[in-house]
Amino acid sequence: VAGWDEDAVTLALEAARAPAGKSDKPSIVFASTSAPFRERLQSGILAEALGLPPSCPASDVGGSRRCAVSALRRALTDQGGDVLIAAGERRPTAPGSALQLSWGDGGAAALVADDGVARLVGAATVNVDLVDLYMSQDHPLPYQTEERFIRDEAVKLALLPAVTEACREAGIEPRDVALAVFHEPVSGCYKAVAAACGITAPNLCDRIGEAAGDLGSAHALFGLALALEQAKPGSHILVAAFGSGCDALVLEVTGALADARAASDALSRGAPLANYSRFLSLCGAIDLDWGPRSELEQRTAASVLARHGRDMHGFVGGRDARGNVQFPKTAIPVSPEADGPERLEDVRLADLPAKIVSVTADRLNFTPDPPFHFGLVQFDNGARVSMEFRDVEGLPLKVGDPLRMRFRVKSIDRRRGFRNYFWKAAPLDRPLLEDA
Amino acid sequence: MASGIRDRVVVAGMGCTVFGERWDTGAEVLMVEAFEEALADSGLERGSIEAAWLGVALDDMNVGNSALPLATALRLRNIPVTRVENMCATGTEALRAAVYAVAAGACDVALALGVEKLKDTGYGGLPLRTKGLANDLWMPYGSAPGTFAQLAGAYSARHGIQAEDLKRAMAHVSWKSHQNGALNPKAHLRKAVSIETILNAPLIADPLGLFDCCGVSDGAAAAIVTTPDIARGLGKQDLISVKAIQLSASNGWESQYGEWDGSYVRNTREAATRAYKEAGIADPRSEIGITEVHDCFSVTELVTMEDLGLSDEGRAPFDILDGRFDREGAIPCQIDGGLKCFGHPVGATGLRMAYEVYGQLLGRAGKRQRENIDFGLTHNLGGAPANSVAAVSILGRLD
Repeated sequence: VAGWDEDAVTLALEAARAPAGKSDKPSIVFASTSAPFRERLQSGILAEALGLPPSCPASDVGGSRRCAVSALRRALTDQGGDVLIAAGERRPTAPGSALQLSWGDGGAAALVADDGVARLVGAATVNVDLVDLYMSQDHPLPYQTEERFIRDEAVKLALLPAVTEACREAGIEPRDVALAVFHEPVSGCYKAVAAACGITAPNLCDRIGEAAGDLGSAHALFGLALALEQAKPGSHILVAAFGSGCDALVLEVTGALADARAASDALSRGAPLANYSRFLSLCGAIDLDWGPRSELEQRTAASVLARHGRDMHGFVGGRDARGNVQFPKTAIPVSPEADGPERLEDVRLADLPAKIVSVTADRLNFTPDPPFHFGLVQFDNGARVSMEFRDVEGLPLKVGDPLRMRFRVKSIDRRRGFRNYFWKAAPLDRPLLEDA
Repeated sequence: MASGIRDRVVVAGMGCTVFGERWDTGAEVLMVEAFEEALADSGLERGSIEAAWLGVALDDMNVGNSALPLATALRLRNIPVTRVENMCATGTEALRAAVYAVAAGACDVALALGVEKLKDTGYGGLPLRTKGLANDLWMPYGSAPGTFAQLAGAYSARHGIQAEDLKRAMAHVSWKSHQNGALNPKAHLRKAVSIETILNAPLIADPLGLFDCCGVSDGAAAAIVTTPDIARGLGKQDLISVKAIQLSASNGWESQYGEWDGSYVRNTREAATRAYKEAGIADPRSEIGITEVHDCFSVTELVTMEDLGLSDEGRAPFDILDGRFDREGAIPCQIDGGLKCFGHPVGATGLRMAYEVYGQLLGRAGKRQRENIDFGLTHNLGGAPANSVAAVSILGRLD
């Protein structure tokens, strides 16, 4: 389960940071079926958070959990320059439902570029309004239909035809698929498809399901990252994702990922959560009584956000004429030697190393997941910022500890249904689950 | 070069309400209580007040903004009245304004009154408020104990003091203040508390436990200030003079510039240095008789002892454990019980501190009375150590 301050946008952003750094000027696609906003371009927020320019083409896709793979197919077949597809999912579920146990929160991203590590050699799409589950305006929580019906009909109407056609287009036999990334609607689908067409490759999506749960639109991209970690050049990867039909892609591996273990590493880290009440609260499945201290006004002035949002989302400070970096930018710099207003040069802090100057675990103030860790953060480049600390899962924080920055929800105005994003500081590494 | 305000203004009278959970008393009545005591103490006519300053920090929580709450409560006679606010230094700001008005010759008699009605918030601790619409986009919502608690880890890191040793010194700070508050009929918390109870209390913000935090109270305090000549004309013999009032405010250096290590409060050092100079004090350790400092939290008092120059750097925990700042020690601190036992009705606190120093200098402190005091110091610290306003004032007998 994600933290209270993570949502589809922040999870997508965290996954997108590494691939975004490999492209000068990508367009960006945000894929999710649990986007926190229906009207507010979340790929635009991601672009700002990644430091991409306002001219960067950006679009949000959704509608089914195969939307990220559909976007990947479009990006691979279009000749539109680099495309960054960032998928994030944090789907609400009802307490006690089977989906609450089998779904997870997560993000995954893929960069499509000329110098990638795999190329598309075959693709197929089957659209069919097979409603295995839905979330609607009238029923925001998922409603699932009978699993045996889904398994049989999804295989027959969508999965098998799409996989067969993609392999045919790729000019390979299904048995030649080395690794499968098969996001099935219910278990048993891949087994049935494999038996029918002769695929023998392991389905790497199983690993994700076991470690993190079903990640919705991010699931297949995450699986592709796992596949690229171990794929050999020349081999073929099958990517298939279900959701109102199926998109199936066959990729030929042409190289090796630079950050070869990132996806596996992400699955191996975290902290066990043994408290079901806390789990339900983090999921948003129950609304606890937070007391009068939670009643503080959290309204965001749209004009203030318009003035400062780009610097907030991108964590952009400024460098003054003496070289000192500060956040936020101000008319007169904080440097003691400054002697009047000057124009500061933009400096992005999001990816820079920093350390703790001071810290506490505050048990008085309202936070949805107490205690509230916060303190002063010193960046190696000189900038100093008062920040919230998150992901405190291992040893207690102390002065001097190294930090990394995470894009998170800053505050939620529940009265008006609005949320703000900013960066928070987290320990450099998450603990290994096997150590817990 | 400015000559300062030393001995140009004297205190004609002071008043202070009982602090506490005054459920049955509104801010208006608290103001009247404090003012009537000050007026009676001064011997002045009600109509002699020519200007007034009202210190209220949290206007939305109690009396409302502007001059009107004070002017209306006291039925002041259409004189200039101004509300001032400077976080926890608000009470001292009101006094500073009144003293400056008299020192400037703008008026002969001025009133400073601070009040806060915190217990109408409906919960413990200070209310959580916006930090400004732009700051709210990024600044963390830490509580007051959360911001001050950070002094502890930074102090330990700088001076190589183990957290447990620092915690024991912090506990002594609170223990000592509870000892003093038990003797003060106007204090909110009038109960001695054992060191073990303090050390084992639930955590509020690491490493501050419940007893490391000051109370939350309602209260008001007032001072009427005038010229030495007018005070003598009232037949007063022992005149208590304002020797210095200094203020220092952060400009972002601590929180945005990479030099401060988080283990001390620069503004206290700046304000104290200027106040000692204005008061003509060369050696505070031998000349300052008592201090009322801003013990919002035990660790704040600890670092303040160094920031005021009353302990060497890195030595405050040891001086505290040695009893240097106890009631019978060399320089008693919070002899009235401090914020620890009075609580912290923000607008009133600075004037409440001055009330104790004034009373001590006049020999009115009863069981808490210290002998042979020449100077008493008050200190307020508003905001957070990383973004603060510090006020230091010094009172003494008129030379």
